[in-house]
Amino acid sequence: MSDRLNILVTGASGLVGAETTSRLVRAGHHVYGLVHNVGEIVANNGRRVSSAPWTAASARESGVVRLLRGDVTRPRFGLDSETWSSLSASLDRIVHCAAITDFGRPPEIYQQINVTGTVHALELAQENATPFVHVSTAYVCGNRDGVIAENELDVGQRFGNAYEESKMRAELIVRKAAADGLPATVVRPSVVTGTVRSGRVREFKNIYIVLKLLSKGLVSAIPGHFDACVDLVPVDHVAAVLTAATEDFDRARDLTLHAVGAPVRMRDVSDTFAEYPSFHVPRYLDPNTFTPDCLSRVEKKYYERVVSLYDNYFLRRQRFDSAIADRFVRRPSTAGSSYLRRLIDYALKAGYLGSTLPVADRALTPLKVGER
Amino acid sequence: MPTMPSIFFIDGRRVEIRTRTIRQVTEHLKAVAAFVGSTPRRIVRLDEHLLNRCQRFLRGHIVRNSQVIHGIRKHLALGDFATVMTHWWGEHARQSARYAVCMLALGQAEVAAVWAKASLLQAAKSFAARAGETYLEPKWISLQLHRMDDDERVRRYWEVTDSSRHHGSSADHAMRCISLVHDLGVRGCENTPQKLLVDRTSDVTTWRIGDRVHLVRNKEDVFVLGQAAAVVWRHMVWQRPVATIRQAAVTAGVEQAGTIIAVLARYGLIQVTWQGTAITPVLPMASPGGTVTPRPAAVDPPLLDLRGATASSSDAIDLVAVPARRFGAAAMAMVWGNIMVENAIEDMRGALDRQQWRVAELTARRAVDGGLRALLSACGVNPLPPDAELVHRGDMVGPWAREILSAAEQLHRVGVSDPVQGKALLERVNYFVSLIRAVCGADSFPASFDSASNWQTTLDISYDWLRLGAYLDAAIPIEEARDLLSSGGAQPYIAPGASRGLATAGGTQ
Repeated sequence: MSDRLNILVTGASGLVGAETTSRLVRAGHHVYGLVHNVGEIVANNGRRVSSAPWTAASARESGVVRLLRGDVTRPRFGLDSETWSSLSASLDRIVHCAAITDFGRPPEIYQQINVTGTVHALELAQENATPFVHVSTAYVCGNRDGVIAENELDVGQRFGNAYEESKMRAELIVRKAAADGLPATVVRPSVVTGTVRSGRVREFKNIYIVLKLLSKGLVSAIPGHFDACVDLVPVDHVAAVLTAATEDFDRARDLTLHAVGAPVRMRDVSDTFAEYPSFHVPRYLDPNTFTPDCLSRVEKKYYERVVSLYDNYFLRRQRFDSAIADRFVRRPSTAGSSYLRRLIDYALKAGYLGSTLPVADRALTPLKVGER
Repeated sequence: MPTMPSIFFIDGRRVEIRTRTIRQVTEHLKAVAAFVGSTPRRIVRLDEHLLNRCQRFLRGHIVRNSQVIHGIRKHLALGDFATVMTHWWGEHARQSARYAVCMLALGQAEVAAVWAKASLLQAAKSFAARAGETYLEPKWISLQLHRMDDDERVRRYWEVTDSSRHHGSSADHAMRCISLVHDLGVRGCENTPQKLLVDRTSDVTTWRIGDRVHLVRNKEDVFVLGQAAAVVWRHMVWQRPVATIRQAAVTAGVEQAGTIIAVLARYGLIQVTWQGTAITPVLPMASPGGTVTPRPAAVDPPLLDLRGATASSSDAIDLVAVPARRFGAAAMAMVWGNIMVENAIEDMRGALDRQQWRVAELTARRAVDGGLRALLSACGVNPLPPDAELVHRGDMVGPWAREILSAAEQLHRVGVSDPVQGKALLERVNYFVSLIRAVCGADSFPASFDSASNWQTTLDISYDWLRLGAYLDAAIPIEEARDLLSSGGAQPYIAPGASRGLATAGGTQ
């Protein structure tokens, strides 16, 4: 194991942040978690990570995460000068997980949290040239099809939504800081879902809501291509890549790592859904033919409020190269359809799929802001 | 060396001689010895014929060369063999009893009683093997137990299996058998239905076409479900208790849900597990286990219409008479044939409006050919003969379609040279189409180009079949259909922005 490091994880209570924090704590590092409103860290397996409030005089102890309440959208995270200085002086690494990842929010929200939040995190790193691990997204590639290399960023692509665009801007800022001398590395997860072995996930959000609406027939048709694919990455793999990049930073410095998993084709979705008797299998309509008007009134509501936020992912034909990331942690070898089946099985077991859908407004409640 | 015994008739007696080399017998014994100490789940995989050979060799009377025989027998001790047989029969008994518990939970008391009785016999064989009675054939169980008749459980065995003493129901009898199985030393198969969970079997998928539910098994067989069976199927959620599923379906109005679930399990469309472990009932020395395939459902022609096959009754789980890929391909060809009919009729109307008589004749023939494609496809014919031959292929559909083929033949010969003839031709084509529609699902196929909603229905049916076709890698006429589907059925002779046709209707493009 590497030496014990003092590590700040921003967005430490989010899905990726909590799992990464849990791993780093288990590895014996001294971990500080920046959280917005949440007072505890719950790992993906549902277990609480032992925590205590951060103080400047906190003893460096293993097995406990020290929590700071802060807001990445505010200068210096809204911390007082003493805390800021004390914190910056103590850090060996910063893992910047804080982000808003749900779709359909106003552009200014993405700007505040994903872009400005990154600027503020970089300011902390620049105080003492602290090595900086930035969590981006594989989908900074936007809508372009084909094989996406890890060293590609701004190639004039068009974006599917404001989230992708904001993560691209944030990544450009990180790269600028790196060019100015800050030791930095970028990790790009794709769509983060349940663990590779069991499909377990702490919370059912984002893509899971789409799966639920489609499987219940609440949206029976979407614009899509059978050969389009969405990359789903197990949360434990993302945490493993982040942990590896943090611990082995000298090797990861200046690199971009695709923390990606199994490409799941829309055909896989159709065929796998067909294995579940209670599921409806969505129709994929030619995008030139599809219009929400072809849906019933209720379906149209679900489509416009949720599914439409994702629908350009049903048309993309992207494959993410992970040759560089594989040198740190090998990409899961599970086939897309097998992994999707595992995710669905877990969601069924947990009662999320196959159960009655909450009333529309509850199902569509905007997700928590501020933490990945 | 022969594996069948040689039969001789000597002095009026039949004599069986089974020959094996020393190497063969040694390998048999070693193969079984390798399982000593294994779990019952592993031991039960041992082949019954292998065990039988070992039993015969170990327990046979030595006529000569006893030193050689004893030397070989050292490869598998009698005690170890008895332990293996105890577990082997015990595991079979456990599986049979679990299946009986499952059938009880589904209200299938008669079947439950059959399997509970089988389990009891297997448990008795296990019980006997524990006492060193390792003979495999069940027919000797009475003599084996007779040698242990001082045991109270043997007395109960005869009580429970004596058919003259059965006074209770089949369910009661099944439960008495299961109770005694436990007392004979076989655990893990008590009457605890809450341990029974439904689960998927590999390669069974559900495809709904319109309101009809089809199941595809192993990408080979298609089953069509009747209405009640479809309701039960829709209630299946993997890894939920079978009793919960049954109750939910009963609450949804299907009283006979238990029977339907039992059939689904029998056909291998679902499996019922014991807390996640597959239940695999087998009758050793009697019949193979595993799933069952019923005879194909007998239906009057045609075989399918635009919404797929038709079930013979509400409870039915009918096997369709054509294999899955051909089923999907024929259905797609039928959809496309109907679209072709609609397309041609629209072209024909346009040609008649413009007094383009030769164009009208050709489009009429195209409509007829599209109809014949649909007709043959509805009968399961796939691949189709070339269009030029279609009208002569009555032998492929049977005498019931004589009127349709006669109408088609006449339409192929009709000429048009004035408006009156044109109108007559259109009427005859429309009549022909009505005959085709009666075969292919009557009103289920819309006049695709009449309105946006009709076109949407066409698209929905087409995309339903496309999903199944993609899954089966079936031959689908998609290349031919794609342009039409994606253009929304816009007709080349209609000017952009005109009110007719779907290029401007309903916003579905």
